Amino acid sequence: MDGRVSLNQVAMRFGDFTAIQPTSLEIESGEFFSFLGPSGCGKTTLLNLISGFLTPSEGSVAIGGTDMTRVPVNRRPTAMIFQNLALFPLMSVYQNIEFGLEVRGIDRRERRRRADELLELVALVGSGDKPVVELSGGQKQRIAIARALAVEPRVLLLDEPLSALDLKLRQHMRTELKAIQRKTGITFIYITHDQGEALTMSDRVAVMSEGRIQQVADPMTLYRQPATDFVANFVGETNCFPGCVTVVAGEMVTLEAGLALPLIGRSSSPLKPGDEATLYVRPEQWQVGGINETHLPLLGVVRSEHFEGAWLTLEIALDQGPTVRAHVPHAGAGVGLDDQLAVGDVCRLDHSPHQAIVLPGAKVEASREEAVDVAATA
Amino acid sequence: MWQQLRNRFGLPLTMAIVSLLGIWLIAMVLLPQWQMVDYSFHPSLLPAERGGVKDVWSLTNYATFFNNDIHLAIFFKTIWSSVLVTGLTLIVSYPLAYYLAKVATPGQAALCLLLLIIPFWINEILRTFAWYIIFAFRGPLNELLFALGLIDRPIRFLSGDLGVLVGMVYAYILFMVFPLYNAIESLDANQIRAARDLGAGWGRTHRRIVIPHAKPGIATGCIMTFMLAAGSYAVPALLGSPGSRWFTQIIYNWFFEGGDWNQGAAYAFLLLVLCIVFVTVIMRVFKVGLGDIAK
Ligand SMILES: Nc1ncnc2c1ncn2[C@@H]1O[C@H](COP(=O)(O)OP(=O)(O)OP(=O)(O)O)[C@@H](O)[C@H]1O
Ligand SMILES: [Mg+2]
Repeated sequence: MDGRVSLNQVAMRFGDFTAIQPTSLEIESGEFFSFLGPSGCGKTTLLNLISGFLTPSEGSVAIGGTDMTRVPVNRRPTAMIFQNLALFPLMSVYQNIEFGLEVRGIDRRERRRRADELLELVALVGSGDKPVVELSGGQKQRIAIARALAVEPRVLLLDEPLSALDLKLRQHMRTELKAIQRKTGITFIYITHDQGEALTMSDRVAVMSEGRIQQVADPMTLYRQPATDFVANFVGETNCFPGCVTVVAGEMVTLEAGLALPLIGRSSSPLKPGDEATLYVRPEQWQVGGINETHLPLLGVVRSEHFEGAWLTLEIALDQGPTVRAHVPHAGAGVGLDDQLAVGDVCRLDHSPHQAIVLPGAKVEASREEAVDVAATA
Repeated sequence: MWQQLRNRFGLPLTMAIVSLLGIWLIAMVLLPQWQMVDYSFHPSLLPAERGGVKDVWSLTNYATFFNNDIHLAIFFKTIWSSVLVTGLTLIVSYPLAYYLAKVATPGQAALCLLLLIIPFWINEILRTFAWYIIFAFRGPLNELLFALGLIDRPIRFLSGDLGVLVGMVYAYILFMVFPLYNAIESLDANQIRAARDLGAGWGRTHRRIVIPHAKPGIATGCIMTFMLAAGSYAVPALLGSPGSRWFTQIIYNWFFEGGDWNQGAAYAFLLLVLCIVFVTVIMRVFKVGLGDIAK
């Protein structure tokens, strides 16, 4: 069963509007692949191109090495799980699951046997005769999965299937979806605007923006080594320091960002002194300490503190610089800072040069108006 | 309902509304109908004999009908033809309604609906008369077919049932299209896509998904079209021939040519019963309730 999906310079235009820029992409057979992007970036359009509901304006889609250009929706080896599930409300659970089998002319007995198997897979044994309208949200979700799996697709397409569920159920279904994917070995193409979903379930993620794929990578790489400014900002939280490159030493780049001292980070793109670049520091990459911890070179003032459960989020106005967000452990964790630092206190901080990423370009204009003179406060 | 009205309008206004409604129902609906039914069970008498010894309840008016083979034949022919008209209208309307509801862009749908509605600004008799002209022995349709070389002598469209069928389908198409359109419109487009995605061809998608969803609309359209067709007078009178007479024409004759209102009332009552039976049967067949249809 070959569930490879290849996009070959696929582009989609609606009139003058280009929803998908020419895109090439290989999705491996049996992979859990996600498209992650903000609303309106073209995720559903891309899925519709793969399922056959839309015909690309340019390029072609191939599944399992076979060109799909002339294959209509109902003959493609894909199955879709819709954003609103689209279960057939006038039918029972069995009839829903068996619909695709009935279409394929499979006899009643065999249909029922397979439906029962699938109900077992989605842990809903015994509810086959219920009308679907009587099911709960989570149960409907599972029936939609069972209905799609019934036709034994090589590729399962999921369009934000969990967005209608509450948080607890959503997290539970993530685990379950991943388990089903492992068990069946089917290629899953998953669409979401929720980075948590994309990062926890996927083997690889494609981050999209305005009809263009920004980066394709495994979740860890995506988080640690974002390839573009958009990815760095969209996946996880980050603090940006646009500035000018002063020194380049191998991978390590020194950046003059208007702070009391230059910042150092890692870059995989060819930068030379004098280039514009931006340095990104994730909130949890800051090391924050009291005014006496002089090994931390940057000075700032704590603007606010938010308790987030597992950590504390501090907003710190840097000396002569922007306000940054930092995640620090709290007193409950035994190593807390909140007993030493209060809102209005001066603190010291630093980041690890090996974790900070430097990307070319300095589009991001950090808000410098609220820069404070820390020396005066102290 | 009484309570709701009272809460909203207060007692005096509620009493006024309810009694007006009651009077309207009794005076405009029940009394005339009752009068008809009453007429139908009495013999036709001279004014002087009314209320006299001869003015008794009898079934003779109905017996006349059941003993008249020609009238019976026309009655059944009317049923059969109305069913045919209803079926034809459904067949023509369904694709149209589906196109309007699910395929056309809003602009196309608006244009189409406008084109459908404009002819209905014209009186039914005039519209039917237009068909009379088109179908005429030396009319434009024959000219056209002749010019295209499809026929070598004109066809008498108006002598058979064809003219009546076409005229009726045309006259009542909106009463079928609108309920269908409303019903199909409310179907989630993803339902259709899901069926297609699971492998269903167009035929099965309609049979299993669209038609079951549109059932109340289909039932409503069929009921309206059937009643209008069975009760139609202008279309068969203009486009029909003596051989394709409609039951309404017989009723008309009893009233206005035979002058026998009692006999006419019996026939009219039979037509009413027929329509009620049809509505009941359709509701059974489509398994819909009155509530679904009223929607
Ligand atoms: N049939 C269409 N005609 C014209 N424009 C369209 C059509 N379908 C989508 N678009 C446009 O293409 C863009 C991408 O739409 P798409 O539905 O793929 O977004 P999405 O990423 O799925 O967003 P969401 O997360 O909100 O579902 C949008 O700007 C949308 O307006
Ligand atoms: Mg979408």
